[in-house]
Amino acid sequence: MKVNKLCSIANDKLDFFVTWTALDRTNLSDGRKLAVNYFIVAVILFFAQLLFGIIAATQFIFPHFLYSWLDFSVNRMVHINAMVVWMLYGFIGCIYWLLEDESQTDIVGLAFGKIAFWVLTIAVTIVVLVYLFIQIGAGNDTTLWLINEGREYIEAPRWADIGIVAVVLTFFYNVVATFSKGKWSGIAGVLTLDLVALAGLYVAGMFYMTNITHEQFWWWWVIHLWVEATWEVLVGVIMAWSLMKLLGVKRKIVTTWLYIEVALMFGSGILGLGHHYFWIGTPEYWLTIGGFFSALEPIPLVAMVVHAVYDSGSHAFKNGNHPALAWVIAHAFGNFFGAGVWGFMHTLPQINLYTHGTQWSASHGHLAFFGAYATINIAFFYLAIQHWRGNVWMSGGNAHAWRWKWALGLLNVGVVGMTIALLIAGYEQSFIERAVEGSTWSGYFAAQNHPSFQSAMIWRWFFGAVTFAGLLLLIWDLLTIGKDETRKAIVIVSE
Amino acid sequence: MIQPVALSDFFITFFASALIILAGACYALLFAWSKVNSHFYIKLAAYLSYGVLIVAVLLLTQAANFTGYWLWLSVVMVMGYFFAPMGIWYLCVGTHSDDSHKILEEKL
Repeated sequence: MKVNKLCSIANDKLDFFVTWTALDRTNLSDGRKLAVNYFIVAVILFFAQLLFGIIAATQFIFPHFLYSWLDFSVNRMVHINAMVVWMLYGFIGCIYWLLEDESQTDIVGLAFGKIAFWVLTIAVTIVVLVYLFIQIGAGNDTTLWLINEGREYIEAPRWADIGIVAVVLTFFYNVVATFSKGKWSGIAGVLTLDLVALAGLYVAGMFYMTNITHEQFWWWWVIHLWVEATWEVLVGVIMAWSLMKLLGVKRKIVTTWLYIEVALMFGSGILGLGHHYFWIGTPEYWLTIGGFFSALEPIPLVAMVVHAVYDSGSHAFKNGNHPALAWVIAHAFGNFFGAGVWGFMHTLPQINLYTHGTQWSASHGHLAFFGAYATINIAFFYLAIQHWRGNVWMSGGNAHAWRWKWALGLLNVGVVGMTIALLIAGYEQSFIERAVEGSTWSGYFAAQNHPSFQSAMIWRWFFGAVTFAGLLLLIWDLLTIGKDETRKAIVIVSE
Repeated sequence: MIQPVALSDFFITFFASALIILAGACYALLFAWSKVNSHFYIKLAAYLSYGVLIVAVLLLTQAANFTGYWLWLSVVMVMGYFFAPMGIWYLCVGTHSDDSHKILEEKL
């Protein structure tokens, strides 16, 4: 009886929430309805990422906080896994969003896509619950299959790994079959090849090897080649399509530049993998390969700067969605500073010997992931919400525009603040723990207890809270922006 | 074989590495801007940025103990950052050649 009452109350609350948001799914095609499902889960996981991140940040300052209830190792794992998964949800959502428009036809096998979405979402929920309820214990073949595979960042147990590959293959089928039925394009070709790599590379992190060097060698194929090759290309595809829709850039131009960017990214990013092979027992030539190609990795970012100036000289930035364009601009800056400047600062082996795996890496990781990936997903959320509301006006003069501007400001200031705080901690850690104390245990504790490290951790917590506030405002804005808007969006035509 | 950075060169290594990317981007930005707006001071600022990049590469070469084939890295950085913005610019002009927006071409 009590359960029924609770269900009834929950239903009432949900109905009230749906009425309050006034979002009308009839404005969306079937493919876009699936895309917004992915976006909704992405935002929930973004929230989880920040929640567990701020708990982990608190534990840096108060090590006994939630100790033996929710250990730091688990918080950190959920924090990072949630980030990886929400970004994947965001990317998949973006592709489903653009698929019908780009192929000029309905999505083939959409029913399979819907099943895959629910399978993935249920699997992610179970995996996170298992992480939280079974935090410690011996590792063996059973735990590897059912609880935790033990590989940093991709800890999902093997059953979930297989499920992830199955879901990605279903997604791949939707994409390829739809383009085959409809119209192929340059964007479609790049996307298809990239999805082959995205699904294939994940397999490199699924088999178990007894030698730690071999294990790490393949593990980096997933981590580096996903993030610095396939994800970058995926973002290139999403960016190319959104530039046509946001600014009306010609298809021929975005397609040509997509090819150039892909060539530059693959040319530098694939062998840039070497900067992860410096200290894991691989041959010495990886020092040279890693150093050289890491130095080339900022070239695509420099190309982006030149092209941005060219475009601003020839177009007037007339666009139909101000929040989305603002996030695209944040993407360009965040990608350049996070991946380019912060990456190259500590990537050469002569200095990486001291910085590898310190808070310096965390500093780079925070700015690069946010700048390169979170921003482009958020830009797409705004594009989605505009159409979900019936393609309403979002080109300035909207009611409550302060919300998206403040959310943009708080999220960016928060992440940059965390980046600077972690940079200070990383510098101190590299210097004292690694260089002065020679990577000993006493050196580790000397660095962790140093006043500058501890102050940096407090500042990191503060800016983490600013980021969290920004996310809350962003969610509020996404739920309400354009709610009372009656004007239609300005029409941007790409040739 | 690599020779790790000396303790006293820690800061300069990070600083010089960051400066290479920042000066490289500034040079690229100003170079492109000087093409859009052909003002002498913009071009001068672009080449000043490139000068800063050369100084930063020299600092990094010294601090990170680049010898032997590692010196090629410095050469590639200095040459690559000089020519990359030019190459990208020509690609921009080429890909936009039949653009209906003639504003930029008129300026050029």
